Amino acid sequence: MSADARAATGRLAAPAAESGGVIHNIGYRRYDAARLGRAQIVRALIWHSFRAAFGIGRGGKAKVFPILLFVLMCLPAAVNAIGLALNPGSEPAVTYDSYTPQLRVVAMLIFVALEAPNLVSSDLRNHTLPLYFARPIGRLDYPAAKLVAFLLACLAMIEIPLLLLYVGTATQVHGARQVWEQTLQLGPGLLYGAAWAVLLASIGLLLASTTGKRVFAICAIGIPLFFSYILANVLAHVGEQAFGPAGFGEPSTLTSLAGLISPFTLLGGVLRWLEKPPAPGGPPVREVMQTTVGNYGQLYGAVFLILTVAAIVGLFARYRKVGVA
Amino acid sequence: MITQPIRESGGHPAPEPGVVIEARGLTKRYGTTVMALDELTVSVEPGITGLIGANGAGKSTLIKILLGLLEPTEGKASVLGHDCVSDGFAIRTLTGYMPEHDCLPPDVTATEFVTHLGRMSGLPATAAKERAADSLRHVGLYEERYRQIGTYSTGMKQRVKLAQALVGDPRVLLLDEPTNGLDPAGRTAMLELIARIGSEFGISILVASHLLGEIEQICDHLVAIDAGRLLRADSIRSMTQASSVLVIEVDEGLELLQAELSTRGLKPLPYQRGLLVQIAGDVTYDTVRDAVADLGLPLSRMEQRRHRIEELFRADPAGQVAQTTGAASVR
Repeated sequence: MSADARAATGRLAAPAAESGGVIHNIGYRRYDAARLGRAQIVRALIWHSFRAAFGIGRGGKAKVFPILLFVLMCLPAAVNAIGLALNPGSEPAVTYDSYTPQLRVVAMLIFVALEAPNLVSSDLRNHTLPLYFARPIGRLDYPAAKLVAFLLACLAMIEIPLLLLYVGTATQVHGARQVWEQTLQLGPGLLYGAAWAVLLASIGLLLASTTGKRVFAICAIGIPLFFSYILANVLAHVGEQAFGPAGFGEPSTLTSLAGLISPFTLLGGVLRWLEKPPAPGGPPVREVMQTTVGNYGQLYGAVFLILTVAAIVGLFARYRKVGVA
Repeated sequence: MITQPIRESGGHPAPEPGVVIEARGLTKRYGTTVMALDELTVSVEPGITGLIGANGAGKSTLIKILLGLLEPTEGKASVLGHDCVSDGFAIRTLTGYMPEHDCLPPDVTATEFVTHLGRMSGLPATAAKERAADSLRHVGLYEERYRQIGTYSTGMKQRVKLAQALVGDPRVLLLDEPTNGLDPAGRTAMLELIARIGSEFGISILVASHLLGEIEQICDHLVAIDAGRLLRADSIRSMTQASSVLVIEVDEGLELLQAELSTRGLKPLPYQRGLLVQIAGDVTYDTVRDAVADLGLPLSRMEQRRHRIEELFRADPAGQVAQTTGAASVR
């Protein structure tokens, strides 16, 4: 448009605005105030993604499953609190470290498989990434923000029930000493929950970022997690049947290594490794996640670390390569 | 950390002097064979500039390099004085980008989406909300802003794409094929909107398009590239100046007339159902009149009209063959 035309437009627009004849033409307003820096933009993206993991800002239907799963995760804590209230002085039914292992596996498997795709696959599917990359953040700020957001979401799913369990138990026990005991037990439980969150969030996001199709992404996460868990348990049983049950002497190698196959049994193995060995003649070791580690405890620790780091590196590599168009 | 305001405050938007976009010997190779940009040197002044080229000419590649999303193989590029390689953050703060392809999630409302991207542009929460509402109002989606984007028509989606580019109050807009997929009415509306943003909002705009006919209506300047090379860069006015043409149509004997005009020293070009002749002055009209009269042909149309830029890029009788080498500057 020429300068003349520009002046003409200006002349035309001004009287209309003065007379109030044009309602929609509010004129262009500049933004002159301070802008957020890169770190604050990334923080905004983390908060946005964290909310998205629970369906907030995504319509009513998106909230159903995360809320349902969260309530499910909190149920044992509630049941425990009610049980303690009805039978004062009884032992807590739920422990901090393993919480309720089977329920936690199922609930977290569904949560990760359903929600990780919401954080990354939809941006891939809708080609929204170029809009992020055209803004003042770095290329890898995006996967970093998504990872932190999903990690926080998984932590919320795992740790809040633990805190409820703590509150429910601590209010029922008597004496500062017992409360302190509970607090001491809570610490490792939270730490173990954090290990869950780190491993599941990184694996979940990596698998989700392989495809833009939501259904494929759900399958890409759900199927390997589910079947590796089944396989790990089956192999552990086969190991027991074929080479003698664990508990009498050394468990068989197959049983000891089967847990490495699935992230869930891997985490159980890490916990078993870090637990104090049972005192001779003391109470038997509690069955945690049915993972038997035998002499391979350190291997479980190493595989956990390698798997987590590999998943995070893979996620970043994925976004270093992803197209901008 | 809160950074300093990027630009000085207040005042009515006015086009700033100087160069908005500059490229020097810009080359982008993919692998060893594909040459997306080939020694492109061009500078773009404030105003609306059309970036014209066929599909695959390198338009999108240029825009991505300007945004700092791609690194050039060779050469330098800058936007508002910021180097595209080393200062991408500053450029992306000052620039709004509307991609060519669909880039909208269907399951969120336009308000939520544009607000979120406003946050991503560095606006605090409240400002992002206000500017998202403003932007959607400017593109004409104020009434429908609480609807999910999936329910929008193609034209409305294009407007959302424009609104998200506008939300961060950019100094420069890079629009990649903004009329893609629109019907004629939608195209006209989109072009009017872009013209308004360029003139009233005082935002410099680079519009990439493969459709010369529509882009020339709104541009001050034109940059034409082909196979990654600069074809021509000039202001619309100087491109159309002294390039008036005469359209001649006869009911029969078109070839005869073409031959006759050629012998009389004109260089007629076939154009649609008639001939196109460069106007050199009143004498051109006389020559055509005499030729038609001598041949006794039924003349049905003789019309002078402004040369459309499209014709400048075709083999031109008046020796105005577009430059295919060397650099030019928009002036």
